Amino acid sequence: MKIPQNLTSKVAQVRRQKLVKAMQNANLDAMVLYGNAWQNDYLRYGVDFGILEGEGIAIITRDGQATLYLDDAFEADRASVECDDITIVVSKDIVQDVAAKIISYDNSNIAAAPQRHLPYGLARLRQKHNIADATETIDHLLMVKAEEELQAIRRAARLADEGYAVFRDAAQIGVEDYALIAQIEAFFRANGVDDNFMIIGSGGPEVRGMAPPSGKKLKAGDLVTTELTPCIDGYYVQICRTLVVGPPSEAQQKAFSVYHEAMVAGIDIVAPGISASDIAKAENDVFRKYGLGDYVTSEYTRVRGHGLGLFPDTKPHLLEGVPTLIEQGMLLIVHPNTYHPEVGYMVLGDSLIVGAEGPEVLTTTPRELFSVAQTRSAS
Amino acid sequence: MRHGLMKWREDELSQADVLSRQYRLQQAMETHDLDGVLIYTNHVRSAAVTYLTGFSPYWSDALLFLPATGKPLFATALSKRVGNWIKSTNPTSDIAHSPRPGELIGEQMVAIGCRKIGVVELDHIPGGLIDEIAGVSNAQLEDASAIFAAVRTVRDAAEIALVEKTNQIAADAFASAPTERNLVGDVTEALELYVRNAGAEECYVAIAPDLKKDTRLARTKGQVALGETFAIRLSIAYNGVWIRRTETFARTSGESSFQSLALWANGLSNGINPSKNLSSQLATSSLPAGVSISRWTLEAPLGNRPLEAIATMENEVVRPLPYGVLTIQLDTKQGPVVLARPIGLYLSLLSVGAAT
Repeated sequence: MKIPQNLTSKVAQVRRQKLVKAMQNANLDAMVLYGNAWQNDYLRYGVDFGILEGEGIAIITRDGQATLYLDDAFEADRASVECDDITIVVSKDIVQDVAAKIISYDNSNIAAAPQRHLPYGLARLRQKHNIADATETIDHLLMVKAEEELQAIRRAARLADEGYAVFRDAAQIGVEDYALIAQIEAFFRANGVDDNFMIIGSGGPEVRGMAPPSGKKLKAGDLVTTELTPCIDGYYVQICRTLVVGPPSEAQQKAFSVYHEAMVAGIDIVAPGISASDIAKAENDVFRKYGLGDYVTSEYTRVRGHGLGLFPDTKPHLLEGVPTLIEQGMLLIVHPNTYHPEVGYMVLGDSLIVGAEGPEVLTTTPRELFSVAQTRSAS
Repeated sequence: MRHGLMKWREDELSQADVLSRQYRLQQAMETHDLDGVLIYTNHVRSAAVTYLTGFSPYWSDALLFLPATGKPLFATALSKRVGNWIKSTNPTSDIAHSPRPGELIGEQMVAIGCRKIGVVELDHIPGGLIDEIAGVSNAQLEDASAIFAAVRTVRDAAEIALVEKTNQIAADAFASAPTERNLVGDVTEALELYVRNAGAEECYVAIAPDLKKDTRLARTKGQVALGETFAIRLSIAYNGVWIRRTETFARTSGESSFQSLALWANGLSNGINPSKNLSSQLATSSLPAGVSISRWTLEAPLGNRPLEAIATMENEVVRPLPYGVLTIQLDTKQGPVVLARPIGLYLSLLSVGAAT
């Protein structure tokens, strides 16, 4: 097995080695990986390029060589600067070009991922050209991180904490939600953060979830919720916190204590060998204990946490009924985020690495319902 | 993901504006005997749905199905909890949520008796969504990218005004950038802050930190030192419209010695028609003495990509376009210069359609 030695980082090299080993174990000659700026994790696992515009498809052969097909010449320029060890092909129709390449591999063992997102122009070749579905194989590689990946993840976790401190400092009465996010983005760009998954909510019981900013101004008494998910060298780590503009009400504090208890319950049982469902159940049981069982259903919440890594919302989803085995080296966020009937949508979540003995919690921001001074106003 | 300002602004893009675009596509369906047109969207391949509805997803993906008559159906995997936000930013569509949006669309096709559906960029739609549709509907799917592009190239005042506004945000951001600069981060952080505070929904900053060594623009980290001359590209989305603007600077001279070239490029926005032969127009564009064009690329929105390459200096293509973004590399005595501007902004709305 000959792996290129000048990959952009040690982490990328380790990933490529693991991928090639998985391909050899499955007797695959080539792996086709698709990605775009939304769902980039499968592509980035194979070639260390953080695509922004257009689409990319990589073909990795079992000797570890990688060809990246891009449909945007400016992105290809960027890729040639950022990852100088791969062959880059710019084409107006990468689907057609990769399809032709696959057809030329007749009698070879080829697999592709992710199944759901594979462009139809490639997906329809699956049967005739025996293209296997590699989604499950890559999913496992994505979920269980190597030590080198965890080092990048710990750096991202520090930025998540620092980013939330910037968020708290910028939250003032009268500031518009998009201006608040502009502060975070500028801070992240200055500190080497390539991307950030972030949604926001502000208001009271009328707020059912978080969304992109819509120009809403913060006002006294608002619950301000956010998920901040900075990305360092491709790895996303998340923090979820809620703050109140002004002093928290008794109802807000009482509600928060339920979320806190639920998050701690979820984190405390994390260990190799349990299931994703077990973590969700531990969180949800706390809500049920306080008569809030309706609010852990899909009517009010999506998941009780999820995996993190090269995608900000990766498997496993922490939901009752999800049997995925929790393994050492997984990166998870445990967040019992949901709607509370008295105070509105509230969030609280810490990221953690699953260690041999239990969780290594990465988030260091205090688990508090934060309060920003009501006297502080945007000019 | 997109996390800048995303809201419906009736004064900038009205419901009447997008309804007229939907109507034009429905007229084209009649001509081509289609029962509907299906378009995929995510935040990377958002432009076609944005054109028809004004909506861009911040995350996840969706399908828009516009039947030959009636309202579009927007089916998304985004959860109901963001349903109110989607409704507020996509007021002309019926909204449906499902983890299997393809299945919902397929059921709608069956319900209204569809036989033949046009699909914009059929080969690029996620195969999983096509599987979902095929699981419930036997309608024939055929590529309708050319049909959509023909509708898309009709210029409208709302879009051109948004392009002008976005270009102004970029110009103002560059004008406000610090003049004391040694590191990449000294400039890029300030640019991004300005653009997002101006209400942009997305901003990508790329930089060639030392143009004399390398003219390729990349997402360079903040601690990289700037060379004697450097170039920065801002790619900005505002209310669904994308532009690029690239400027070249001298690190130490304060007021850039490249100002006359920037002014020349500004004139291209006004004077160049993206739907006509670019080489001949550039040849008569009063380029300052001692400067020559070594490379250019024309981009425009025609399908799902907010901006896609249409033509280059080596491969000239002339076709009707709603507007364009022209990136030019110049050879000068001070070394290479890279500039980009949106073009075709101030032309008569009727004058561009007839390409020559």
